[in-house]
Amino acid sequence: MSPSNAPFTILIAALGGEGGGVLADWIVECAVRQGLPVQATSVPGVAQRTGATSYYIEMLRQPATGAAPVFALSPVPGNVDALVASELLEAARMVERGFVNARTTLVASTHRVYTTLEKMHMADGRHDPQRLAGAAQALAGRAVLFDMDVLTRRHGTVVSAVMFGALAGAGVFPWPREVCEAVIKDSGRGVQASLAGFGAAFDAAQGGVVDAEAAAALTAAELPQALRHDWSARLKAWPEAVQRLAAHGALRCLDYQNRAYAQTFLERVDALVRACPPEAEVARDEAIRHLALWMCYEDVIRVADLKSRASRFARVRSEAEARPGEIVRITEHFKPGPDEVAAVLPRALGEALVRLAERRGWMGKAHFGLHIRTSSLWGFLMLRTLAWLRPLRPRSLRFAHEDEALRAWLAAMAHLAPRTPRLAASVAGLPQVIKGYGDTQVRGRQNYARLWATHVKPALVGEVDDAASALALEQALRATLADPEGTLNTAHARTPAAAQPIFWAPRRPGGDAAPSSPNA
Amino acid sequence: MERSFHREIEALKLGQGDTFHGEGILAVTKALLQSGVTYVGGYQGSPITHLLDVMVQARDYMDELGVHVEACTNESSAAAMLAASIMYPVRGAVTWKSVVGTNVASDALSNLASPGVMGGALIVVGEDYGEGASVIQERTHAFAMKSALWLMDPRPNLPTIVRMVEKSFELSEASNTPVMMELRIRACHVRGSFDTKDNIAPAISTRQLQMQAANFSYDRLSHPPATFRHEKLKYEVRLPAARRYIVDSGLNEHLPGRHEDVGIIVQGGLTNTALRALQLAGLADGEGHTDVPMLVLNVVYPLVPEQIADFCRNKRAVLVMEEGQPDFIEQEINAHLRRAKVDTALHGKDLLPMGGEYTAEVLLKGIEAFMAEHLETVDVQPARALSTEVAQLRAQASEALGGGVPQRPPNFCVGCPERPVFAALKLVERDTGKLHISTDIGCHSFATFEPFSFGNSILGYGMSMASSAAVKNFSAQRPVAIMGDGGFWHNGLLSGVSSALLNQGDGVLVIMKNGYTSATGTQETISTPEQEAKQLAEGNSATATETTIEDTLKGMGVKWIRTVHNYRVARVRDTLKEAIRSPFKGLKVVIAEGECQLERQRRLKPIRARRLKEGLRSVRVRYGVDEDTCTGDHSCIRLSGCPTLTVKASSDPLRREPVAHVTNGCVGCGLCGEVADAAVLCPSFHQIEVISNPGWWDRVSDRLNRFFIGLLQPA
Repeated sequence: MSPSNAPFTILIAALGGEGGGVLADWIVECAVRQGLPVQATSVPGVAQRTGATSYYIEMLRQPATGAAPVFALSPVPGNVDALVASELLEAARMVERGFVNARTTLVASTHRVYTTLEKMHMADGRHDPQRLAGAAQALAGRAVLFDMDVLTRRHGTVVSAVMFGALAGAGVFPWPREVCEAVIKDSGRGVQASLAGFGAAFDAAQGGVVDAEAAAALTAAELPQALRHDWSARLKAWPEAVQRLAAHGALRCLDYQNRAYAQTFLERVDALVRACPPEAEVARDEAIRHLALWMCYEDVIRVADLKSRASRFARVRSEAEARPGEIVRITEHFKPGPDEVAAVLPRALGEALVRLAERRGWMGKAHFGLHIRTSSLWGFLMLRTLAWLRPLRPRSLRFAHEDEALRAWLAAMAHLAPRTPRLAASVAGLPQVIKGYGDTQVRGRQNYARLWATHVKPALVGEVDDAASALALEQALRATLADPEGTLNTAHARTPAAAQPIFWAPRRPGGDAAPSSPNA
Repeated sequence: MERSFHREIEALKLGQGDTFHGEGILAVTKALLQSGVTYVGGYQGSPITHLLDVMVQARDYMDELGVHVEACTNESSAAAMLAASIMYPVRGAVTWKSVVGTNVASDALSNLASPGVMGGALIVVGEDYGEGASVIQERTHAFAMKSALWLMDPRPNLPTIVRMVEKSFELSEASNTPVMMELRIRACHVRGSFDTKDNIAPAISTRQLQMQAANFSYDRLSHPPATFRHEKLKYEVRLPAARRYIVDSGLNEHLPGRHEDVGIIVQGGLTNTALRALQLAGLADGEGHTDVPMLVLNVVYPLVPEQIADFCRNKRAVLVMEEGQPDFIEQEINAHLRRAKVDTALHGKDLLPMGGEYTAEVLLKGIEAFMAEHLETVDVQPARALSTEVAQLRAQASEALGGGVPQRPPNFCVGCPERPVFAALKLVERDTGKLHISTDIGCHSFATFEPFSFGNSILGYGMSMASSAAVKNFSAQRPVAIMGDGGFWHNGLLSGVSSALLNQGDGVLVIMKNGYTSATGTQETISTPEQEAKQLAEGNSATATETTIEDTLKGMGVKWIRTVHNYRVARVRDTLKEAIRSPFKGLKVVIAEGECQLERQRRLKPIRARRLKEGLRSVRVRYGVDEDTCTGDHSCIRLSGCPTLTVKASSDPLRREPVAHVTNGCVGCGLCGEVADAAVLCPSFHQIEVISNPGWWDRVSDRLNRFFIGLLQPA
């Protein structure tokens, strides 16, 4: 199925009499108001009397462009995007039936309503809640678990309102909170209590608190209120260490490209967080750090941008201990080569230039020195002009290459982290071999390609023992970092490394079903 | 009635150019009005209940249109209503839950199908093979075939359902044959929208009376020799006419696809699932464009032989997706293809399971097998990988959960008056030993689940008494038949009570007098308490003063009748024991009286709210368990099963077992206290009264009490 018309699916697991039907109606109403095609079904039957029951919704996340979609009437295992359960065992029941996998955002209450079988036991027939929650967390891509019963009672409402808030708070709906609240308001009965329950659950689903450092970073960045709110909400779901890295990374990406790019970064972080079990914490944090750095690789545009900023001018000024009234001039020394030029050109053009440069033997030689006085209007405008190329960056040759390698690396992380945290930690650190500019960077790429081919790729296809390959990669990485001249590359290379300077990573490592980044 | 359809009634009034948003079954209701029906009838049951309930509540509007709505006492009387369309050009529709309801109605259906109809007649039935099904694993299809009724199985989207309702009437009139429409449970509850038309006020109606009765016509009676002619008409005239109409109106749909040498024939109702399965196999997109051509049968009976042959001709192989068994459609297609000399390979139940619900997962497996055999050019791997992935996912889940999670079947509501009767029955069995219990359909069948696990047979609605007729003759101990008042009026009075009286049979019948047909949404019966009685009863049981059942039984000649109030568990226990051991030979009826708690609470809540608002004194009662005296053996739970009586972790460090606990959902019915008393369980149970807006006496006495207690109380 093509992702464009794959329906977004929501499964509601509840007990009869809890108002699951009302919740389904609310969601349908929201979708209708947003102009999204939607369909909901249920099997209430006699399950209305406290038995387990379920409701199922399919919708598109964008208005239909062509023909109206055909929606299915029952969920398919492995194909549920969001699942909300009003009780922990019901969440586990859905897990048992195969409705929860890496694709699923599971929102469930942690409270228990014991089944008769559990209650009538002579001693203790209760199921282990840790086990139930553990299963939910292990299989769901993302699990948002909290006690909905407490919130329901605290706000004198019904659990359907709390479930609605939890789903909204978990960010599964393609519409803002206000739409949900408007629908509740128009539903007419018990509106105040429903809204209170909704709000409380919304906050609870966003979970946790924003780490102080992360919050400070966001505040200092003077983001628009809505954006800061949005990001804070996302951060809350993650461990504190991740929050700090993610906040800084998102700010970096925003500064580097645009809001959507930062959003992509956060989604990738989310995917990493989901993919990494607790044992792979080190790998996760390392990977997030490198992800941010990698996504903000330095190219001519970036350099020009950074260099032409007022803050930089001020910094230079203060470093030079310039006194008031004194004049400071700054001149940049650039020496771009054909590869740097090709890097910022649109992909096809850039490739043509690279081919030409290789044929003519310009590569690595035909650098031309440029001295630009940034503090002069002319020089400043030159840099700014380069910086203004920023919107074109995503179509550039370099971006295409970086992005491809980055995706392969992310997919490898997602694949390895749950399987072998130790190896994943090394792979997470792999991007550190790509550093600098010019030759350093070319060597770095060769290093990366070599390490990938000799260590990561065999591990992905499962050709080697995980523990052995983790050890081997650690050693290789250490050796590589201790080898600034790149002698290892020539020693190992079967073919001249320079002959494959750009495509140094396979498209999908191992060709397996490892999930890649969410927007892959 | 349990649910209010205020908003839905407004939706029924929509006209040309409006858009209806709502449930599938309510779209059917609207489509009936757009088709100009003169009368509507039916008997409630999931999933078609709302069709009738909304019309009953919309009586004023129905009256405006001149449409007669009848809440029938059973499916037989609903089917018999359609007799109006035999002799008059009036359209009518009835509804019930199939296949059980169709069984009940089948006598009338046979004799309706025989003469055929003049005005369009439609029977809407709910059908299911899936997780929500309490319907037995039989098919309405068989009834359609045996009686020559046409059967629609529309694609489960509102515009198609509505169109098919409208076309059903035309088909019915074009072929003088009643039409059935089967809707699966999820189709009934599917939320969608369609563009509405104006409702049509029928030409003959409660407002436009037919001045003269129809002329006598022996030909219109199901009586020989007219019936011989009817049979001939069925296959010589009506069937060909129906087939013509089906083709001319394009009721079945042909979805083209690029793999033209293969195809799928699918029941309309399965289409969406089939498309999803194809989508998962990489053979369709989200808008329903398929690579494999499909013939969608919105009419599953009769099939049109030419249409089938045309679809299959020049195809190497065709897969039939037909839910349920036996494989009526596949067999018929086989016969049509043989006659047309089309040698397409036909698959169906060889690649798909014979029984059970056809989910996308199930269909995907069938498609996978079909692809492997006939679609060599298409990669079957993605489909296979998906099936494997799901299996792995389940295995992973099972491992993570450490085995299966317990079932959660439906249960009696909090405060349900039927629960104490079964608690009493459990206590009776402590003395008598195991009893043979004939169970019935209704809320009380929840007693078949834990913690009661009562019941040796369920034969049908209102059949429990009749199903113990033989058992009681060879059992040393009298068996007990249990019936609800809904089942009693549906069938039990005649098939059970009158039969026992005719045969001077011995036996014990327990009738649950809760005042409503509660399991289907508290619809009314003839013994539902009058409005006045309900107002007088306030929070008490309004069925206490209602004696229609007792009067009826007396009138029929039942000599041994005892009415007990359900919550007096010890009394119920003693009365049951008496009935079982009484030397009286003959039918003994115990009427267990206690109004449906849902209705009581619905009445009580506004009264309570009003009293609180007006500052009037009011008392809220609930029960509790003392943790420090509870030993955690949970026998109270095994005797009650109330959802609010549950367990919680003990705060005593020396105890590891959880203790019993009453949650705040308790409505204070008092059963747990009664059970603790009657069964001499434990002293942990206590009643709590919460007095709001206390009067002067409450305050003074409370103060005095506390003062004196305070002097004496140890820390």
